[in-house]
Amino acid sequence: MIPTSWFLILSAILFTIGVCGFLTRKNGITMFMCVELMVNAVNLTFLAYARQFHQLHGLIFVFFVMAIAAAEAAVGLAIFISLFHHRETIDVDEANLMRW
Amino acid sequence: MTFDRVDVVLEIVKIALIVGLLLNVVPIMVWVERRGSALIQDRLGPNRVGPFGLIQSMADALKFILKEDVIPLQAHKWLYTIAPMFGLIPAMTTIAVVPWGRPFFIPTEIVYGPRVSGVCIIGAAILAILAIVLGGATAKYHRKPNYSKLNFTIGAIVAVSLFLGALALIGIMLGIKTAGAVHLPGGGRLFEPIIADVNVGILLIFALASLGVYGIVTAGWASSNKFSLFGGIRASAQMISYELSLALAAVSALMVAGSLRLTDIVTRQTGYFVLADTVKIPAWNCFSPAMWLSMIVFVVSAFAETNRLPFDFAEAEAELVAGYHTEYSSMKFAMFFMSEYIAMTTMSALVVTLFFGGWDVPWYNEPATVTGFLLSAIAFLAKVSFLLFVFVWVRWTIPRLKYDILMKIGWKVFLPLAVANIVLVAWFIAARWI
Amino acid sequence: MIEFAVFFFFAAIAVIFALVVILHRNTVVGALSLVASFFALAVMYVLLDAPFLAALQVIVYAGAIMVLFLFVIMLLNLQHVSEPATRPIQQFLGYAGSAFFGIALVYYLVKYTVLQLPPGPFLSDARAIGVALFEAYIFPFEMVSILLLAAIVGALLLSARRGVIPSRKDGEEPPARATRGSLATLGMTEEGPLP
Repeated sequence: MIPTSWFLILSAILFTIGVCGFLTRKNGITMFMCVELMVNAVNLTFLAYARQFHQLHGLIFVFFVMAIAAAEAAVGLAIFISLFHHRETIDVDEANLMRW
Repeated sequence: MTFDRVDVVLEIVKIALIVGLLLNVVPIMVWVERRGSALIQDRLGPNRVGPFGLIQSMADALKFILKEDVIPLQAHKWLYTIAPMFGLIPAMTTIAVVPWGRPFFIPTEIVYGPRVSGVCIIGAAILAILAIVLGGATAKYHRKPNYSKLNFTIGAIVAVSLFLGALALIGIMLGIKTAGAVHLPGGGRLFEPIIADVNVGILLIFALASLGVYGIVTAGWASSNKFSLFGGIRASAQMISYELSLALAAVSALMVAGSLRLTDIVTRQTGYFVLADTVKIPAWNCFSPAMWLSMIVFVVSAFAETNRLPFDFAEAEAELVAGYHTEYSSMKFAMFFMSEYIAMTTMSALVVTLFFGGWDVPWYNEPATVTGFLLSAIAFLAKVSFLLFVFVWVRWTIPRLKYDILMKIGWKVFLPLAVANIVLVAWFIAARWI
Repeated sequence: MIEFAVFFFFAAIAVIFALVVILHRNTVVGALSLVASFFALAVMYVLLDAPFLAALQVIVYAGAIMVLFLFVIMLLNLQHVSEPATRPIQQFLGYAGSAFFGIALVYYLVKYTVLQLPPGPFLSDARAIGVALFEAYIFPFEMVSILLLAAIVGALLLSARRGVIPSRKDGEEPPARATRGSLATLGMTEEGPLP
């Protein structure tokens, strides 16, 4: 059996890669994909602990996280589409109308 | 997970068998498609390259291998090259969870003796008679006014090889002098003719089928051709729309069986319905009225999933040049071709497993022996072949649906029907009518 | 033995393709690498005794959400819109900050999570999940369905160009097509293909 800590370390590595991509890229779609990567890393953590303590609650939580991530992806991409139509660019630094 | 060498060898044999079968279905289906369409359209079809055009598929394969492989200058080279593989992999891996025969106990030893030599004599006699008949038939063909030299040559070669086979069998028969037994290393085990009997079998099929979208959309984009992109986007939008009704229509068969495992679904269909205490019909899901709606929805969604007519607007020959595989040539195009036929075979196998009783031979309780297994495998193959013929038949009978109508009925007709069907079957199960 | 080999292989695939996502310039390649990463994660879920969720991960994430991403990227022709390079200070701070965060996280995980696995199999098949969903978690289940409905309506409204249903009086001209019409979505302008 594979120790739980290995899965947690893998999840930490994926989460870190997601954070790194989110902070260093300016492409809106890439940033969104890094957010999805972070959410998946957290899913892996939930499942690792669910197996550790033999509880189904982790699984159910992952189930709901997947459904909500699907909804979030749909709405987020719709926002990007409308942003692109107004600005002709997906550089998120250009979306600064409401900045001071 | 404990397994030993015999398990590994059996698994490899199963995989080789199924992969070989899938890869060989493609040339056979090409022939069936061309001759079948010719039959329906009242014309001849290929008949030059071998008796009844049977060698045409080999000629096509040779053409594909020898053609020049062109990569357009603007195309994204990596994605252009691996896009056909994205299409082929889901089609070939989904067959791993489909049961194709009855589980049986491997005999501990094979006995040979007078029985085997009897079989050899009969086999040799049959082969010799076939050789003589074939030789005579092709000789007559040689004298016809429009004879084809290739046909005559092929007929002569096959006749000679059959005769040599007969001679070999007689040699084997003479070589077996005394009776004896060969001990099989894997004797006594239960051989389950399914590559991977997963707990969540049918979900795996839906998962891998939904990965088939990537081949099309990547091919369409990587070709950097507006027709290909358009065709690719259309095809993938259609596929993801009909995946929903496919999955929901299959749920009704799952509810009746009470399990996600495909072997459980087939085992549930091996019984009998008894009508009026006299007539016994096999308990296949296609014979129970509650499942008719789900069967129709599933079969139609299977047509849409594999991009076959009446749902093939994405690769419509007359409208979009060739859709997402416009820019592909030689082996890559052949891989798209292959992936379409293999996906058709997998979908037919799934329809057979869910609704037509899988490997169940009707009205016969197959015993758990080699004979029972062979009969069940032949029954499975026969059912899948019939469904593949239905695919070809529908292609050349029904006209193509326009794209917006296709999407509209996918979302507004088939999805509500599939959901309503779940409610219906649930009601039937609760009322104990199933 | 085989489990460890499978774990390392697919963990390597997940990490390598995640790195491709954040480092490659082309967005489509990034999206496809993310699909590969999700597939490797699904294998991880199988190793964690959750085959149902592994299949769901492939169906929902790799098979639907990423297809949506790819559609948006391809229809908006985003690979031709060049992304300006990030400023060096932002890059440095981003890499350094996330590296520090990652190393600290892994260090504390290695130090403090030495857990014993309880014996026995973990029963996580479809039946158990179904029972839990419809008994203990029925309220979140229904709420998620309403949330998905809200997401569908929201996505439709946000991505429509000039109002969703323009009301038209009789005898009036239908509204003109958007200036960046269907040609642009195919990567073509009046002069020819975009570079």
